Amino acid sequence: MGQTQSSVPEEDRMDPTPPAAPSPQDLPSMEDLIAEATAYGEDENESIDARAQKALECPCIAELRNGPCGNQFSEAFVCFLKSTAEEKGSDCVNPFVALQMCIKANPNAFSKDILEGEGSGEEEEEREAKDYTISAPSWSRKPKSKL
Amino acid sequence: MADGPTMDFCKIVPPSLSAFVDTFVDFTVSALSLAGLIDPSTLRWSGGPTVAVQVGDVLDRGGDEIRLLYLLHRLRLEAAASGGALITMIGNHEVMNVHGDFDCAGPSGLEEFKNWGFWYQIGLSMKTKCEGLQNPKDPFNGVPKSFPGVRKEFHEALRARAAALRPDGPISKRFLSQNPTVVIVGDSVFVHGGLLQDHVKYGLDRMNREVREWISGGSDGGGGRSPGFVRGREGVVWLRRFSDGVCDCANLEAVLGMIPGAKRMVMGHTIQRAGINGACEDRAVRIDVGLSKGCGDGLAEVLEILDGGSVVQVISSDRAVHRRRYSDRTVEREEGLKVLFPH
Repeated sequence: MGQTQSSVPEEDRMDPTPPAAPSPQDLPSMEDLIAEATAYGEDENESIDARAQKALECPCIAELRNGPCGNQFSEAFVCFLKSTAEEKGSDCVNPFVALQMCIKANPNAFSKDILEGEGSGEEEEEREAKDYTISAPSWSRKPKSKL
Repeated sequence: MADGPTMDFCKIVPPSLSAFVDTFVDFTVSALSLAGLIDPSTLRWSGGPTVAVQVGDVLDRGGDEIRLLYLLHRLRLEAAASGGALITMIGNHEVMNVHGDFDCAGPSGLEEFKNWGFWYQIGLSMKTKCEGLQNPKDPFNGVPKSFPGVRKEFHEALRARAAALRPDGPISKRFLSQNPTVVIVGDSVFVHGGLLQDHVKYGLDRMNREVREWISGGSDGGGGRSPGFVRGREGVVWLRRFSDGVCDCANLEAVLGMIPGAKRMVMGHTIQRAGINGACEDRAVRIDVGLSKGCGDGLAEVLEILDGGSVVQVISSDRAVHRRRYSDRTVEREEGLKVLFPH
């Protein structure tokens, strides 16, 4: 695969985003989406390249294909679909790193409204927060004022 | 030998409570390499059918916590594919962090989680842009946004760490929720702090199940408290009765007597300045070697159990020390790398 080995675990280097928790069963997961996109391009008579390219055309990811990092997303997505590595996608470090770099340079490429759109969940947030307290390390605390 | 092929050859990777916190990944790599469990040039599992146990406290060790969790996770999969096993256990620092107790986290530890939070939120945003995909669960919901008394520059990092590690959090669920709290391999019982008779009566399987349920979020979606047996000085991840000072041998004997076939209890939690050692005629094996100057001198040590428990030996990277104590015996070290203790 020609990747330079370093002390960084390969899995760390290949992940464009942090690990996602298994989705609740009642929600379609990212895996479902990839399956949907893959199925969109499914044709056993076509090469894996052609199928991956077709999967990229799935309307379900239309928004991700566009914007300042659309090209990087597309390259990473196609690479992942075509990957035959034992850990699928582990041979796609470079396109995923390129996607990360693009997002860093364009912080609003994909993130816009989700985190600002928490309004509906505020009540639940307040309720849950009461059950969960956080103890911060002492070094992070404000110095106590000396009277 | 009666324990089956995978139980006859056990290597135990000691935990590290390190003052050289930023080198913890390197330390883990050296310990695993030392034991021949990974190839240091590729970081791939090379231990074949070996069973390795890491007795907890992966967290609160500097700025490579998530990297280390990933590494151990991958090695777990590779070990299983090779017919071996890498068992990563719950220590008191895992319990603390799932609780939201970040007292022992360092600045670099907060920074790593802050970066994680940045990328995780971008991931959430990308998922919302997938047509037909319902909005994913946001682990940041329910986590306070401000922390009275804490400097503002750390609020975001604290929030990310809490979102990641709280019960049902993306990191805790993926990397910690399946970890056992008590493990028996062959004739050895592994636990981070120690077991008392009441714990055995309560049920070892039951304890493992209840901790897993708590970290997974439980039936109430993550609001529940941790099980009582992982809290307090007598908690199984906090106990020092068999690892600090004079070992309570009579009590230990009684506890082991309640577990069929158990010959020894292998524990972490208390740094052993003399290196890995045994007490109570080696029924208590204390493997936390620490990493600070004067506490193991930053050298990795691994306890290795061979031939179904008939041979216990310490593998150490320390080539300079010629004499060291194991159990209540002083043993001459000849080769520098391996000290054998035939039982």
